[in-house]
Amino acid sequence: MAISAPIGLKAAFLEAARTKSGLAATAMLGFLILLAVLVPLLVPFDVVRQWSNPGQWSDNPKLVPPEWSEVFTGKRQPRTVIIPPAGQSGGFDHVRVSFEVQGQNYTIVVLKQSFDFQADAFPSEISLYMTTMFGSKSPLVRSWLTRPDGQEVQLFEDTPSLRASNVSQFRPADVITYSLTYPSFKDPSYQVYANVKQWLISNNVTTSGEWGELFPSPTGFYSNPPKAQVLLMAQLNHSMLDPRTAQVLKGKYSIRFEVDGFSSVDDANARAVVFGTVYGLIGTDDQRRDLLIALLWGAPVALAFGLAGALATVLIQTLLGAISGWYGGAVDELVQRTADFYLIIPTLPILILIGILYRPSLILILFILVVFGVVGATTKVTRSIVLQVKEEQFIEAARSYGASRGRILFRYILPRVMPYTFALIALTVPAFIFLEASLSFLGLGDPNLPTWGQLLGNAYGAGPAIFYTFWWWVFFPAAGIIFTTVAFALLGYAFDKVLNPRLREQ
Amino acid sequence: MPTLDVKNLVLWYRTRKGPVHAVDSISFALEPGQTIALVGESGSGKTSTANAILRLLPKNVLRYDGEVEFDGQNVMELTDEEFRRNVRWRGISMVFQGAMNALNPAVRVGFQVAEPLMVHYDVDRDEAADQALDVLRKVGLPADIARRYPHELSGGMKQRVVIAMSLILKPKVVILDEPTSALDVMTQTNIINLLKDLKNTDRLSYIFITHDLGLASELADLVGIMYAGELIEVGPADGVFVRPKHPYTGKLLASVPRLRSEEAPDFIPGAPPDLTAPPPGCRFHLRCPVSFEKCGWSAEEFIAQMDLLQSSGEAKDKVPSIASMSAKSPTSLLIKPGANGSVSDFVQKLNAFVAATSEKNRFLKSIESVQGKTKSVEVKLYETTPPPIVGTEWRAACWLVTEGAA
Repeated sequence: MAISAPIGLKAAFLEAARTKSGLAATAMLGFLILLAVLVPLLVPFDVVRQWSNPGQWSDNPKLVPPEWSEVFTGKRQPRTVIIPPAGQSGGFDHVRVSFEVQGQNYTIVVLKQSFDFQADAFPSEISLYMTTMFGSKSPLVRSWLTRPDGQEVQLFEDTPSLRASNVSQFRPADVITYSLTYPSFKDPSYQVYANVKQWLISNNVTTSGEWGELFPSPTGFYSNPPKAQVLLMAQLNHSMLDPRTAQVLKGKYSIRFEVDGFSSVDDANARAVVFGTVYGLIGTDDQRRDLLIALLWGAPVALAFGLAGALATVLIQTLLGAISGWYGGAVDELVQRTADFYLIIPTLPILILIGILYRPSLILILFILVVFGVVGATTKVTRSIVLQVKEEQFIEAARSYGASRGRILFRYILPRVMPYTFALIALTVPAFIFLEASLSFLGLGDPNLPTWGQLLGNAYGAGPAIFYTFWWWVFFPAAGIIFTTVAFALLGYAFDKVLNPRLREQ
Repeated sequence: MPTLDVKNLVLWYRTRKGPVHAVDSISFALEPGQTIALVGESGSGKTSTANAILRLLPKNVLRYDGEVEFDGQNVMELTDEEFRRNVRWRGISMVFQGAMNALNPAVRVGFQVAEPLMVHYDVDRDEAADQALDVLRKVGLPADIARRYPHELSGGMKQRVVIAMSLILKPKVVILDEPTSALDVMTQTNIINLLKDLKNTDRLSYIFITHDLGLASELADLVGIMYAGELIEVGPADGVFVRPKHPYTGKLLASVPRLRSEEAPDFIPGAPPDLTAPPPGCRFHLRCPVSFEKCGWSAEEFIAQMDLLQSSGEAKDKVPSIASMSAKSPTSLLIKPGANGSVSDFVQKLNAFVAATSEKNRFLKSIESVQGKTKSVEVKLYETTPPPIVGTEWRAACWLVTEGAA
């Protein structure tokens, strides 16, 4: 024996871990495994299950970069401020007065809360949510924003109609609930624009003509609506009309709702969200989803998918290859010809077809991949190794003391082949991760579970411009895929170096 | 009753060049506690004999017959499965050539030794390992070796492990196929002493295959000399080694180098014959220093030897000039005299040359008659058959022995 390859799996692994690439691979894989173990504890699976539910993410800003990206812009970017409903800590102050005048009941509800705004940029959006309960008569609902410079701007004024779609009547109580969301409902949001326009004109900032030029609405709809959050929170001068020149008015803002009701049952509650322009560690996508959650969950999903797929296919292929090489004859012929056949089957197009027809879950995709990978290149490699091993003397020795063919296969031949098999597994994992990413990218992955490929697919689906502007949406999932595949590739090379004497250094 | 009685064992392989006569009609008997050393050059069929006895046959077997009586039963009649279960390892075990390769590198030594036990009896792993420990102790290895892998052991230790493996089922016959060939001299001696002890305590019979005559003389009660697939001499070790009957045995013994001797060791000219077409008559006659009329020269061999003689410088002048030679039948050939020599002249010259040099060029002895024809000379050679192996306790297959006995 010249330069002997290490014997057994443990020895091979230990030696592989000692090479430079093996060391790097071990560190990277260690990190990934740690992540995979910790992620379910940090981010419960329940959160991920809500990935496709838009209601879950409505409090996040839309399509914003990570918080730390403000280091590059040099400006202090606003974080999202949520003012919770009355009754919760930091929520709206709630004052309700009911009184009776000449036999008529009146109720006045005031909801008020302030927030401090010190960022160098405008918020990306402002959302107001309000729920009013009333009796048989519609109340008057109004809302104002008070600015640090003392200006008070009315946002909207509404009288809920009983026939409006956003009114629901609860039985048996004679109480009607009305919810109002800004800017989701056209009418109130247009009111906001009208109110802002009126306020600016009365402060001599603009004229009706200029407003009409800047924000044309020939059919009654704004083709390029003004950014209310900019106008409301900019310093009051002419520059505020252009979002590029508008300067942020820093200080204490306050939001106030008032309900003038005509019964004794009237009440109201409200919620406000001032959306920031940065979010979390990774940012958000176009559906306001926190990409960090998907990125973190991508690690265990990719690891599990890649490892399970690689383990299953390589082990089955190894076993069949070993059987083929060891028993020879008709078995050999059958396995090898099947392998030839499988090798020419175009797996990806078939998977795409299945994906289009059935929208399979991740487990089903894995199963299909394993079915299409029971024989293949590894079968051929293993067979050639076995043909070599079976001529070795310890096999003849085993035969001579009467070991059965099956026993020799499992106790003598497979242990010899295993180290090579593990190198192959390490090198096959990236292939599976890429395959899953490709399918997800094409929109054929599991719709219920976010994967790195799916994030990339979503980013691509949102339009090609995404690659230039919304870098965080593309960069992090791509980095995740590359990191994992490189880790396994390095491990594979380390194994290869140890097991292939010709590649050994020195 | 002998433990092992091999009668006319034949094993031929099929190859593209034709059948290989690897084992050709071999017979010997082995009493309990007796050791036979099978000695011969590489490729003489020693290992094939062992494989034939243990029925470890490759796929290209052409002919496999004869009788192998083990404990009074002809095991050649058993089916493969019966043979595997009842004879292999339980009756006859084997120590393989090159211990370092005969051990499974992925299995710990203890379990390796226990393997045959688990294969043959329904013994669980731990119990088998316990028994393996006993055998390891018996071959002089410490118990902690059982937990090691083969590559962690020295050559001598590995050899002991392989011996332990061969003993675990308590066989009656152990085939030792060059058990010491890759070991240094000290380790060799240790192993041989171990084998001797085991033989005495367990009354084991050994078939000791080696090309080392020194070791063979240490261990063997009987010696079998193999040449070109045949057993050409079998007899008691003290007889064969001291006063060999077959010329090949003599040359073999003379070729062993000795310490503290000025004499250069002798050697046998030529190479072992091609076993796809073994020479007629005695297979050794081409290289034999004492071959004579009956030994079996064929016309082709005669022509080849004559050509060789003509081209060799020293005998050039003395050899009658020859234009061409052609074989007419296996035992006759035609020679055309060269240099315008007349036929009668040539006959005379040839006869003179034979008379002068036949002691040196022994193939010339095979000439029975030389007859002048019109343009050529017909040379007739003695017809012959392979020499039978004769004798009872001490047998040899050589016409010299047969003639002497007759």
